[in-house]
Amino acid sequence: MDTIVCLKQVVDPELPQWDFAIDPATKRQVRMGKPLVISTYDENALELALQLKEKTGGKVTALTLGPQGEVKDAVRLALAMGADEAVVIDDPQSPQRLAADKASVLAAAIKRIGRFDLVLTGCESADWVERAMAPFLAEALGAACVTFISRAESRDGALSVRRTSEEGFQTVDVRLPAVLSVTSDEAIRPRLPKVKDIMAAMRKPVANWTRADLGAEDAGGAKGVEVKDVSIPERTTKVEFLEGEPAEQAEALVARLRALKIL
Amino acid sequence: MVQGLARDFATREILPRAAHLDHTGEFPKDLIQKAADLGLMGMTVPEQYGGAGMDPVSYVIAQEEFARASAGVQAIITVNNSLVCDPIVAFGSESQKRRYLPGLSSGKDLGCYCLTEPSSGSDAMSLRTSARLDGDAWVLNGTKTFVTNGVEATICIVYARSAPDPGAKGISAFIVEKQFPGIRVGKVEKKLGIKCSSTAEIILDSCRAPKENLLGEPGMGGRIALATLDGGRLGIAAQAVGIARAALEDSAAFARERRQFGQTIGEFQAIQWALADMATRIDAARLLMYRAAYLRRQGRPYTKEASMAKLFASEAAMWASHKAVQIHGGYGYIQDYAPERYFRDAKITEIYEGTSEIQRVVISRHVLGAR
Ligand SMILES: Cc1cc2nc3c(=O)[nH]c(=O)nc-3n(C[C@H](O)[C@H](O)[C@H](O)COP(=O)(O)OP(=O)(O)OC[C@H]3O[C@@H](n4cnc5c(N)ncnc54)[C@H](O)[C@@H]3O)c2cc1C
Repeated sequence: MDTIVCLKQVVDPELPQWDFAIDPATKRQVRMGKPLVISTYDENALELALQLKEKTGGKVTALTLGPQGEVKDAVRLALAMGADEAVVIDDPQSPQRLAADKASVLAAAIKRIGRFDLVLTGCESADWVERAMAPFLAEALGAACVTFISRAESRDGALSVRRTSEEGFQTVDVRLPAVLSVTSDEAIRPRLPKVKDIMAAMRKPVANWTRADLGAEDAGGAKGVEVKDVSIPERTTKVEFLEGEPAEQAEALVARLRALKIL
Repeated sequence: MVQGLARDFATREILPRAAHLDHTGEFPKDLIQKAADLGLMGMTVPEQYGGAGMDPVSYVIAQEEFARASAGVQAIITVNNSLVCDPIVAFGSESQKRRYLPGLSSGKDLGCYCLTEPSSGSDAMSLRTSARLDGDAWVLNGTKTFVTNGVEATICIVYARSAPDPGAKGISAFIVEKQFPGIRVGKVEKKLGIKCSSTAEIILDSCRAPKENLLGEPGMGGRIALATLDGGRLGIAAQAVGIARAALEDSAAFARERRQFGQTIGEFQAIQWALADMATRIDAARLLMYRAAYLRRQGRPYTKEASMAKLFASEAAMWASHKAVQIHGGYGYIQDYAPERYFRDAKITEIYEGTSEIQRVVISRHVLGAR
């Protein structure tokens, strides 16, 4: 099973809320000076790819698109965790771009990598939460697509996956090649690389491509979509004290809750 | 990336258990094994001996992360790395390296460092434990005290007087396995902080160690002990920086949330200044530590710089944790919050591997150019 995992680097979503800021010029989250990590579900996708490789053999390639200087660590970490090869597509503008555009570049890169059975992505990115990458990629690659999968099992060349939905889960048999978007599961806990694997990862080669190399210089995939404005939702809390004896307070409370349509 | 690994390990594995380990004083055996599996017990041991082959700068970066989560757990790890693996790497024979480093790196073994004695602490070179060659074995007699990891350790670096010369000259270093006849654990100390690391007496009662277990040459022990402490002090500086950072991070979070007089306490200038001073001292300490580690990486002398880093960082940790308790008010004094633990843990960094007074002695010697 040859797998390509798409990894996006985002500002560490674990940072406290007060560290979150929006750049009014780009209408995107401020990245400068913030610690960057592999987006949470992308790391799950990588872990799942590594687990599949351990069971069925094959090769795992880590693929990332972003400003080269920033994303190096993501692919190095992927290599340290056990990916066999890594490709970086340098695009300083990528944090500003939307999924459709980025998907066309990634698809071009995947075609250039060549043979693959699976492409894995996270089910959503920790910063922008578009949930669109897997379907876009599947379309561009002419591959099957299943989103929000939490498990995958290979059975004589075919793949059976568990898809998480609001009602529960579905078991889906997928033909290959396929693009899967990965959510979380207790069995997918991204591994910590050993120190010596980190050292070894520093010595592994990383392929560096540009958008131009892929003939995707002006993909224009985002045409028709424009981000007009972004804002941080304001959360306000208000405390109301209900006066009176306990019985009156209880009555007033019920009335208030009814008025607020909570009861 | 090593920092990322250390931080992930610290936040996922150590932090959730830090309070429990402090309250119970339990030795976190499984945690140490996990650390070893990741390559964190023999970090700077060359790869051919089973280590991770890391450089001294990455080493202190990682140690800070462990200490930020739990100074007790970090103490266990740093002793094994700095005080036990280091001298074997630097002074051991090829066969000693091959015999001991893989086990110490893999978690099969745990190391301890036996220098201090009841009547020789700061004046370590006046130690009295004796070593006498008897046929094919060294016979060791004496009592070592305050030995970190003393209870669980399987490999001990023991310093003993093998010749009548006073001071450093007559001292030799030995690799003593706990299973050798005549070595046992004596009193186990109860202490203020770093509770999950054991501190014990090691009693050598005609303990026989094979002749080939002498580390380095006879009479080299004093040099080995001091060279080892230079590296060890970087580990303690990192411990102090980690504790101080924990104190600052907790205090900043608390100051944002806690409201009094209709505003968050972080809006009071008194609190802001405390946080600013904490942050500044911590950065200064960290930079001193990085400089010393960098000199070490380049193979240059770093004794003075290691002492400066250890001195400044440990005093910064004591000061910052004291401030953290104060910023937390009553919550800082009770065990449901971490600052009282930081406060207790910080104190040891001013004492072991050379008290603050001894660091000043070392630094002033360099300043005055005296030997
Ligand atoms: C928890 C813990 C763990 C430890 N782990 C280890 C270990 O793993 N291995 C090991 O070998 N040891 C270990 N030690 C011992 C530690 O290194 C010593 O306690 C320390 O070096 C101080 O020695 P001392 O306790 O004998 O104090 P003393 O040397 O008696 O000092 C008492 C006071 O006198 C001051 N003083 C001494 N000499 C001078 C001077 N010349 N100028 C000015 N002031 C001076 C000291 O600074 C101190 O304030 C540990 C100690 C503790 C508490």
